[in-house]
Amino acid sequence: MNPASCNLNPAPLPDWLDPTQWLPMTGSSDARAIQSAILSENPGEREMALMLSPAAGEFIELMAQRAQAITRRHFGQTIALYTPLYLSNFCNGGCLYCGIAGDRRAKRAVLDEAGLRREMGAIKAMHFEELVLLTGERMPEADVPYLRNCIAIAAEYIHNVNIEVFPMEEAEYRTLAEAGCTGVTLYQETYDQVVYEKMHRWGDKRDFFKRLDAPDRALRGGMRTVGIGALLGLADPCFDLLCVYRHAKYLLKNYWQAGLSISFPRIRPQLGGFSADHPVDEKMMAQFIFALRICLPEIPLVLSTREPGRVRDGMAGLGISKMSIASKTTVGGYSEGTEESTEQFEISDERNIPEFCDMLRAKGLEPVFKNWDATYREPAQYSR
Amino acid sequence: MSDILQIGGQEFGSRLFLGTGKFSSTKAMIESVKASGTELVTVALRRFNRDQAEDDLYGPLAELKNVRLMPNTSGAMNAKEAIRAAMLGRELSKSPIVKLEIHPNPHHLLPDAIETYEAAIELVKQGFIVLPYIPADPVLAKRLEDVGCAAVMPLGAAIGTGKGLSTAGMIKIIIRDANVPVIVDAGLRAPSEAACAMEMGCDAVLVNSAIAAAAHPAAMAAAFKTGVEAGRAARLAGLMPTSEVAVASSPLTSFLSNGDS
Repeated sequence: MNPASCNLNPAPLPDWLDPTQWLPMTGSSDARAIQSAILSENPGEREMALMLSPAAGEFIELMAQRAQAITRRHFGQTIALYTPLYLSNFCNGGCLYCGIAGDRRAKRAVLDEAGLRREMGAIKAMHFEELVLLTGERMPEADVPYLRNCIAIAAEYIHNVNIEVFPMEEAEYRTLAEAGCTGVTLYQETYDQVVYEKMHRWGDKRDFFKRLDAPDRALRGGMRTVGIGALLGLADPCFDLLCVYRHAKYLLKNYWQAGLSISFPRIRPQLGGFSADHPVDEKMMAQFIFALRICLPEIPLVLSTREPGRVRDGMAGLGISKMSIASKTTVGGYSEGTEESTEQFEISDERNIPEFCDMLRAKGLEPVFKNWDATYREPAQYSR
Repeated sequence: MSDILQIGGQEFGSRLFLGTGKFSSTKAMIESVKASGTELVTVALRRFNRDQAEDDLYGPLAELKNVRLMPNTSGAMNAKEAIRAAMLGRELSKSPIVKLEIHPNPHHLLPDAIETYEAAIELVKQGFIVLPYIPADPVLAKRLEDVGCAAVMPLGAAIGTGKGLSTAGMIKIIIRDANVPVIVDAGLRAPSEAACAMEMGCDAVLVNSAIAAAAHPAAMAAAFKTGVEAGRAARLAGLMPTSEVAVASSPLTSFLSNGDS
């Protein structure tokens, strides 16, 4: 079903994003076409659609082999590591699926400077050199000036500071880049406007296109990297992943000096008891990751601690080139002095760093904590 | 017979240089460096971890005897960043050699000729021995030689692709025209390709992915050592000229007499 067709009055997706013409191929059962898509030297939308099809599940082993070879060629025998730090879980957002949405009876907290320094000390002691700072939607407790201060403080401790917060204006992104922020992660959640509207019941986040264009604004504002993704489980994953692929291609073409990464967040249990309308099981998720790896050989693909250890162990190096570890989804949580707050979602892989790194090494993968240097820290300038 | 390679006043007995990223462990990297017999390795400034964490590449390499370090500026998007990174790399490693690497696109990592040229001018002024990683462009190679680069490092193919000497035609022109050593950097997958580069007249090759991503990196490093040595020996021995056609055993011009009118 074409999601656009059931919306009462949807604004059309821009041409660079609209996957409608390839969507029927995600229902293909042509084994020969699927196999040649997997082995294609120069895959595009058609091959992506064929590899997303349920019928391609029969060829998951072939896809895994191809994905592993490509990952090894481009990223070597390494996995880049990072960790998230929740600065604030104050949120007035109406996301139906989120544990810290405005109508949840969540215990709210925000890190002050002393708290942040305590957390940064703890994170640095764990040897992390890449960090993602998170908040909820834009709130007085955690707006741009607050973020700017937090970034500047975090950048005193570690090399690579990124944010995963609300969409903002280009000038706001620029102040954050100037404070030392390297990259922005912002998931569209779903590219299906009908589902998007249903999932985001109120607030600024209801503006689908404002969110869609946020990576452009972030890059124009001087960010060096952007991370995109769809929250798997909300809508037809074939539609969403074709959009993720086309969104990635658009960003790569238009911001050719920018770094791009793609994540695969999957709906997990959290406060509020939301269950996915389009559940994606781990085999499907693996198939999708392989498809994106084959179609985008050079792009870092990220898997977080939302996923259980068994799946993460298996996927490391099999398409996935970057992972979080030792994550907390409460505000702070790394140092001893942090007050308790409600977590955004449950962590499935709760191993500590030595345990996780031992697993990686046993698989012949080197954990890399530092893969960037603060000497490069200044807003990027893109020629367009 | 001694066959010493000179780059910017530094002498190297081995013509195989190694990159140090992408290995499955520091141990595997060090074993490969040793097995390769290399005397020059490059290490990305972004992989220097001054907090002596386990993923630091610089510390373990600095302990090796007979191996000189060449910090590289990988991660720099432009000349300004590369110059800053080179300065910091020199300060930390005390090495005067820099592999100048500017790839504004972080995914395909292809070098930016314009920014590289600008940075090279400044780094030469600052007293560095500058080895720029460049597209296989014969004109750019001469321009970089003219501004004082100690060698040029044209790519065989894009980093990590293993597509070998895709740019062989251009590299041959660079070699023919160069007064500085020519080092093929990036793209090599097999020792035979390294041998081929040396037979063509390259002065050295730099290999990373092909060794790091091999099933047995140290064994592959040793194989590359052999490949480079074989190719160099063949070059020095003088390869038989190639010909598109067989040479006729009965001369076509025997009817021509010498000296007659």
